[in-house]
Amino acid sequence: MVPIKYNTRNLWVRRGTTLMTVAGTALIVWSSCILFSMVEGLQQSLDVSGDPLDLIILRKGSTNETDGGFELDKADTMVTLKGVATDPKLGPLVSRELLNIPVMERANGSRTNLIIRGLDPVGRLLRRDFQIVAGRDLELGKGEAIVSERLAGRFKNSNLGDTLKVGEKESYRVVGLFRAGGGSAESEIWVDRKDLERNLSREGSVSSVQIRAAGPTDFESIKTVITDDAQYRLLALGEREYYAKQTQSTTFLKVFGFVIAVFLTIGAMFAAANTMFGAVASRTREIGTMRALGFSKSSILFCFLGESVILCSIGGIVGLLATLPLQALSFGTVNSNTFTEITVNFAFGPLVMIVAFSMTLAMGVLGGFLPAWKATDKDIIASLREL
Amino acid sequence: MKYLGYVLRNISRNPVRSLLTIGSISVSLFLMMIMLSFLSVNSEVSDSLKGSNRIIAMSSQGFAAQVPIRFVDEVGSMEGVTAASPLSWYGGKYQEQEMPFAQFGIYPEKIFDIWDELTIPEDQKKAFIDDPAGCVIGFKMAEERNIKIGDPMPLKGTIYPFDLNLTVRGIYKSPPDRDGRMCIFNWRFLEEGLKKDFQGRQAGNAGTVFLKIKSGTDPAQVCQKIDASTINSDTPTRTQTEDAFVAQFAELWGDMRLMISAVGLAVVVSLIFVSGNAMAMAMRERTTEIAILKAIGFTNGKVLGMVLSEAVFVSTIGGMIGALGCKLLFDVFDISPYTAGALPFFFIPTKTALLGFGTSILIGFLSGLLPAFAAARLGVIQGLRKVV
Repeated sequence: MVPIKYNTRNLWVRRGTTLMTVAGTALIVWSSCILFSMVEGLQQSLDVSGDPLDLIILRKGSTNETDGGFELDKADTMVTLKGVATDPKLGPLVSRELLNIPVMERANGSRTNLIIRGLDPVGRLLRRDFQIVAGRDLELGKGEAIVSERLAGRFKNSNLGDTLKVGEKESYRVVGLFRAGGGSAESEIWVDRKDLERNLSREGSVSSVQIRAAGPTDFESIKTVITDDAQYRLLALGEREYYAKQTQSTTFLKVFGFVIAVFLTIGAMFAAANTMFGAVASRTREIGTMRALGFSKSSILFCFLGESVILCSIGGIVGLLATLPLQALSFGTVNSNTFTEITVNFAFGPLVMIVAFSMTLAMGVLGGFLPAWKATDKDIIASLREL
Repeated sequence: MKYLGYVLRNISRNPVRSLLTIGSISVSLFLMMIMLSFLSVNSEVSDSLKGSNRIIAMSSQGFAAQVPIRFVDEVGSMEGVTAASPLSWYGGKYQEQEMPFAQFGIYPEKIFDIWDELTIPEDQKKAFIDDPAGCVIGFKMAEERNIKIGDPMPLKGTIYPFDLNLTVRGIYKSPPDRDGRMCIFNWRFLEEGLKKDFQGRQAGNAGTVFLKIKSGTDPAQVCQKIDASTINSDTPTRTQTEDAFVAQFAELWGDMRLMISAVGLAVVVSLIFVSGNAMAMAMRERTTEIAILKAIGFTNGKVLGMVLSEAVFVSTIGGMIGALGCKLLFDVFDISPYTAGALPFFFIPTKTALLGFGTSILIGFLSGLLPAFAAARLGVIQGLRKVV
């Protein structure tokens, strides 16, 4: 085997070219990484990975909480359903929820539809890892609101202590910031259900009800009662099922992001090949000498392949490092199901990193193969004679 | 021009390198076109709607709030307004596909006066007006789903509890930058259904009000007048010209736009490195040659020009294949049916394609700059001595 030092030194000697290739591949890896983590983050923020015993109740025929709801009376009687889990302090885990989707102004001046959710206090227990991270929870009936931590500040007047103006007559004081396990709740503003009901003059209706069953058999029985009982005739979905459907809309983006990343990699592969062809061409005599010294064809092949992989890996590492400043950023975009804002955190998980890095390896191996093959194919005498 | 032959010769003497550079540029620009078109299709459509003399009134509370149907008549009788119709998003399922195409409840007798770029034969229009349960669909959708006049069009409500069992009474044609896959039906049919079977719940909602105004009227003024007339009602409106209304959907994308632009920019910069690298390698191999050119009397400026034109030439070919090829491909091949409704129509706007092509020229120029200066500055003796 040709020692690896030969390759690293060569990369150093040709540092101009090396630097350009590294910069090129780094940018491509950076871009792919952003694309992947964007799609991944999008999926996470639509998801909730709720408790398997959680149910969401919607009007029959609707596919989404934002599609309008049903009568409050029906929702009220659900607390008496058999098999509902109970919290010692707050009572039955049944949260009646009402949504308002006003047009709100982002901090940068653009506008979008934002979900303002009015819910019962018990609703907090139905979100995974709900916690207040700043300020305090809202008090009922006082026109107060709590805002998702990652959303705060992204909209005008949405920071702690601000007064959030929604419509001509509707405004809330932001008294706390919350987290809810990174799921869809983190794209929302929460208020008291009754406050919202009054402000919207929508007394007597709810958008959805969230329920936790006490056990798996109760889960099924509640589902049956709500679907079939003449009193209800509503749609009862397991939350997991509901959110799996919500995240389906990202499939298109996922495929799109992946295709783009693959094509970018192919583009970068051409670039790596170019560099390696240059590297091989300018070292014809060296290769001839090595062959004359007794290095086999295969060790020459691996030598140049290795150089190509090293070259691309440096680019890959630089590209991955360049994503570090973005790790803490969150951004807002549209949920194409509901046309409402979702707040997304970049998700540079290990998976994203591994996929992006394997792409650089693919660039190195596939881009370096032809040039390396060319290097082995040279006739010893002819190459020694070359200038 | 005299040196074109020399430049071309230089490009083709290392065909592998030139091809790889061209390949790299064209693949990357091809992708950039697709990404940028995501952003520019909307603004292109919005621009084309300027001067359409149409305005849309929606609730100031957003799409989820009601716009009472009486507004259609009230606003319709205002001065300068020639036609008014509700435009109510139904968002139903068709054959278990969720929201496969846009569905709107409208007034059949008014809508084609407002949407005057949609064309429909007179007899079909009359049949649509006469049948309360009739609907008209776009020609693209009719082709793709093989739906003919007289076929049933059952839509299951998701926002509304009332399911629509419609019959296709007509097929409209539309220009390429308009949605050719809509289904429009009589708004009153939905209203009657909600009143009859659901005690009028969710009834009386026009969704948005779609208006045509007399040409020459100032749309901004009409918008202001409408909003002023509703400001003290329970349901204040926000009225915009149609182009502004369409543009607001692009706003929803929020930071995604910025991110796509950032990736696009990264790709361009990466390409400058890639082709700059190729050019630098070519120059290094030709050091002796350049020295000879200078020795026989070529000026620094000429050498500079020749190297630059070589770089520009190569990347322009890449731009032609990538940017213009991408436009051609999507002009011929319509991907909308494969996006599951995510993109009702997609094309590469000419402006975007030209931007991509221009970018390729810029890439060539910038990438050639450094090697060209190096070549121009090369000392004759030094260059002749150098063994590569």
